[in-house]
Amino acid sequence: MKTSVVFSAFLSLLSLASAATTSSDRKTYPSTFRPPQVFKNANLVHIISLEKNYVKESINVLVENIDKSPQNEYYVPFTADQLSRLGGVEVKDRKDGSVGPFVAEAVELDQSDTHYIRIRLPKALAPGAQQALGITYYLLKAYAPRPASIKQEDQQHLAYAFSAYAPSAYATSKQKTDVKFPSSTIAEYTKLPGSGDVARFPQQQGSKLTYGPFDEKPAGASQPVAVRYEFNKPVTHVSRLERDVEVSHWGGNVAFEERYTLHHRGANLSALFNRVKWQQSQYYQPNTWALKELKFPLRAGSADAYYTDVIGNVSTSRFRSGKREALLEVRPRYPVFGGWKYPFTIGWNSDAKSYLRKTPAGGFVLNVPFLEGPRQAEGVEYEQVQVRVILPEGARNVKFHTTIPTQSIASADVEIHRTFLDTIGRTALIIQARNLVDELRDRELLVSYDYPLSASLRKPLVVFASAMAVFFAAWVVGRVELKFDVAGKK
Amino acid sequence: MDSSLHEVWQAAAGSPFVPTIGKDNQFLVALTLLLLGFSLGGAFALNRSIVNLPALAVPASLALAFGVVYMFCGVGVYV
Repeated sequence: MKTSVVFSAFLSLLSLASAATTSSDRKTYPSTFRPPQVFKNANLVHIISLEKNYVKESINVLVENIDKSPQNEYYVPFTADQLSRLGGVEVKDRKDGSVGPFVAEAVELDQSDTHYIRIRLPKALAPGAQQALGITYYLLKAYAPRPASIKQEDQQHLAYAFSAYAPSAYATSKQKTDVKFPSSTIAEYTKLPGSGDVARFPQQQGSKLTYGPFDEKPAGASQPVAVRYEFNKPVTHVSRLERDVEVSHWGGNVAFEERYTLHHRGANLSALFNRVKWQQSQYYQPNTWALKELKFPLRAGSADAYYTDVIGNVSTSRFRSGKREALLEVRPRYPVFGGWKYPFTIGWNSDAKSYLRKTPAGGFVLNVPFLEGPRQAEGVEYEQVQVRVILPEGARNVKFHTTIPTQSIASADVEIHRTFLDTIGRTALIIQARNLVDELRDRELLVSYDYPLSASLRKPLVVFASAMAVFFAAWVVGRVELKFDVAGKK
Repeated sequence: MDSSLHEVWQAAAGSPFVPTIGKDNQFLVALTLLLLGFSLGGAFALNRSIVNLPALAVPASLALAFGVVYMFCGVGVYV
């Protein structure tokens, strides 16, 4: 029995090893590498959105092949610091929505501050031809609160520094940069001399600043500018999110658990926290930069929600589950101000029928959201995300697919997770991702696996064998003669 | 990554996974099986013989085996 268990465990491990997928899109090039000057940006519009507590940048560019041969590799430069905070890179064709998203991968240079994202065009661009690209990405940990420390009742301001010219590895004929703010209260911004009909850049239209249009700029041109603006909302930053999705075939359940390490990257308090002032401000000035509530919209049918932190259960939460949706509203134990940290855990159960289907080939396919964080008006950014899909014990031939941008996926492995009633341990698909934002919530994660009947019967068989061993031992022990044999009776 | 999984998911639209025993009945089934298992086990304990091993101990072990698994699920530990 033991030998067969060990052998089957070894076989399972072998099959897991073959199914394990590790993705690494990073390549290292020598520091002398420069992208070949085969493209020209005919027209470029750079949109920087500062409306959330992360930066969303969109570069809409009309690229033209100025080489004599077809080209399919377009490079976008980033500094080493930016690359470490860069996530969710997606590239699409602006004119043909059916094409793409294109493959975007990081190209790191050895001992250099400039690195690149390489975009592979699915079809090489012919000499002289043009293509409209839409490049979007997010930058995390982008802001600095200015002033860095404020009073509890003050308004928070954030500063952001960037280049008025879009980052480009190619010469750009014409470009402009739009900067969108959460409100029209822009305290300070860098002014530049204008060109053409415009006397001075930027031009303000409501909550938007426009730098440009600029005329011909060479590759790598930069014009540092900075803005400071009111942002009286929490700067919520999740340094690590561990999300577990545990599938149970016996129970017909998919259990979710999310462990957050949450930080507020906004302004610190310049004086000690005053509870009386806080309570007063809740009535006459409820709009605050402290984080006081998180709302988690969950799928319909979610049940048994819980909310805990290092102390234990946190009672300041409300869970409503309806036919169309479920909503978990949680309040931290204390309002979270800048520089403060609040680690917590939430979890809930769902019926497996909503997430799990049986394929005609006899396997199973699971479809769960990759990310289900809070939905906040000010947004949430995630630095490190670990999604662990714990499949039933004995599941094999694991395959997965996610609609999260591949540039954000750091690794994916299949490992063993041991918990209640396990003998060889459960198959766990572990995906590490980095630099995600809440706009990517509800992106799909599809996992397919095989789960034979023999594997599903493992748990009752183990209990059956144990119980039988006890009964058999009881019978054997009962047959042992404990009395002394009295020779004199003969 | 296997991009064909989306088609697999769509193709399986008509066959959502439904467990053998639904969530609402797991505790009742588990309790019944465990009581049966312990009763048969008790009967075997009173009369331990080679005949009673297959007659009582095997059904008791089977009832305990499935009862334990469903009791785990019935109390919310979905194994």
